[in-house]
Amino acid sequence: MLPAPGADERALADGVAAYAADLAPRIPAAEEAGAIPRDVIADLGRLGVLGMTVPEEDGGLGASSVAFALVLEEIAAVWPSLAVGVSVNSGITEGTIVRLGTPEQKRRWLPRLIDGSGLGSFALTEPQSGSDAAALRTTARRDGGGWVLNGRKMFVTNLRYAPVVIVLARVGEMDAQRPHAGVTAFLVPTDAGGVVIGRPERKMGLLASDTSPLTLEDARVGADALLGPEGKAFGAVAMAGLDGGRIGIAAQAVGIARGAIDRAAAYALERRQFGHPIADFQLVRNALARARTDIAAARLLMLRAAWLKDRGRPFTTEASQAKLFASEMAQRATRVAVQTLGGYGYMREAVVERMARDARATTIYEGTSEIQRIVIARGMLSA
Amino acid sequence: MKILVCAKQSPDSTVRVKVAGDGKSVDAAQITWAISPYDEYAVEMALERKDADASTTVAVVSLGAARAKDSLRQALAMGCDEAILVSGPGADALEGLAVARALAKVALEAKPDVVLCGRQASDDDQGLVGAALAEALGWPHVATITKFAPADAGAGSVNGIDVWKEVEGGHEVWRATGPVVLTVQKSEKEPRYPSLPGIMKAKKKEIPEKDVASLGIDASLPRPEMVKMEPPPSRGGGKIMKDGDAKQTAQELARLLREEAKVL
Repeated sequence: MLPAPGADERALADGVAAYAADLAPRIPAAEEAGAIPRDVIADLGRLGVLGMTVPEEDGGLGASSVAFALVLEEIAAVWPSLAVGVSVNSGITEGTIVRLGTPEQKRRWLPRLIDGSGLGSFALTEPQSGSDAAALRTTARRDGGGWVLNGRKMFVTNLRYAPVVIVLARVGEMDAQRPHAGVTAFLVPTDAGGVVIGRPERKMGLLASDTSPLTLEDARVGADALLGPEGKAFGAVAMAGLDGGRIGIAAQAVGIARGAIDRAAAYALERRQFGHPIADFQLVRNALARARTDIAAARLLMLRAAWLKDRGRPFTTEASQAKLFASEMAQRATRVAVQTLGGYGYMREAVVERMARDARATTIYEGTSEIQRIVIARGMLSA
Repeated sequence: MKILVCAKQSPDSTVRVKVAGDGKSVDAAQITWAISPYDEYAVEMALERKDADASTTVAVVSLGAARAKDSLRQALAMGCDEAILVSGPGADALEGLAVARALAKVALEAKPDVVLCGRQASDDDQGLVGAALAEALGWPHVATITKFAPADAGAGSVNGIDVWKEVEGGHEVWRATGPVVLTVQKSEKEPRYPSLPGIMKAKKKEIPEKDVASLGIDASLPRPEMVKMEPPPSRGGGKIMKDGDAKQTAQELARLLREEAKVL
């Protein structure tokens, strides 16, 4: 099996690449301001990027996971902060609504996540529950016809842009033996009473991507907020959604690495030392060649996972492998890129400096590298 | 309104062009091709009209090598309704007047209300085809336009087409009745990016191909021919003044600018 993208998938990615390339001059100011400009989100809506994975009958393009991964790679090669926003909107948020939403829920929310008026959001992590996601403490209790939610969520991507956030909360008491039981997903409108969006986090990288805390104080939502089966969201929503999300982060890491190494290679051809372009020196050539090979390998892992997902086959292990390898690879590649540019690579004006900071998040979110290894080992070693 | 846009495929403006071994063409191996920038403005201008009035149809025609189909596909993805390729042996070697005569045959068949061309192509900068096409059709021509719209004849009726063109210090509005050829300076907005649904739709569309030989262009007519292509001379080294204090350096700089560079 060779997971080579088809001509249509490549054409979609090239279309987005052309748009993304022209964003470059705007990125430094947006990163400085810590926000993705609204008109860029609107553009992504108009260009059909935000709805590309949604089936045609639900108002999207119905493009493949392979196409989506290639598109995320292209965006990340220019602007990783934007890629993660698109990944969370069109991957886990829309993906969960498409998979588990009622026709009414799809009609209500998908158009608003597709049209560029905002970006969807997904709230799982809590102050005390990160990798141990099943230990979450946010609660939901029935109240009349609806639900009342209480708790705190951390590191919620896109929250400030979101019309709706998928919140995972516990219904009933926690059973220490079966902590994932009772976890339930809710579509919480961000304008509902009791929904408080906190101050955006100040991060090491991905500065334009919004990462904000969410507090639910007796947040009241209707019966129609329940998304998917009650009490079974840990497997059906969190884990299933993260599998897909991991392909997105793998794509982001591949894009970051490629963007950084392309710039390093261009610099190496121009920069002269000792009477030669530094691209003539074996130590530079060696580092760039290794990085380029790393990127190619990571892309194949990413495409394999996406290809399996498109065919409805199991891809948990493959998504973890892609995410693990690509994110760790992006650390090495961005390090090479900064090193190749030397002092200039360490300066804030250098794109590779930003890429190196942005790459760092990819080994952490959507499951740390350690969690990916646990997932991969479980696939190998459980009976 | 029916609009026909003539779009030439030329080397992408970001590509560094090299002269090929024959000394009179560019090395095609290094090139990525794109719609020539002024022609892309023409496509955008046509689509802006379509945005304003959904009953507008936009066809785009390109004459040249078979690879021009990719550029037509791009125009379809941007939102054009149909595309026509005029190709075949020798198509990409035709000079401007012959191109205009061939396009005139296409235009007579398509019967547009307006033909849009970029003001000039980015490869040869001849700026000939639009005006020559108007001549071949016997239609009027307005040059370097920035906008056009159906003329409001009052009481909601439309008579002719208003055309805006930039002139020194302002703009003029011209009115054309009947079919007209317009050469485009710039559209109101930058050319749009194709949307993903647009790309998918464009891939499914048939692009009919006409053989340029079938259009009956007389190849025996007098024609100019390019005989040689030379890159600009490579830049000489700069001059660094490092002797003397600031005052002396400034005096010397002024002298050099006046006497050697002759810019003062």
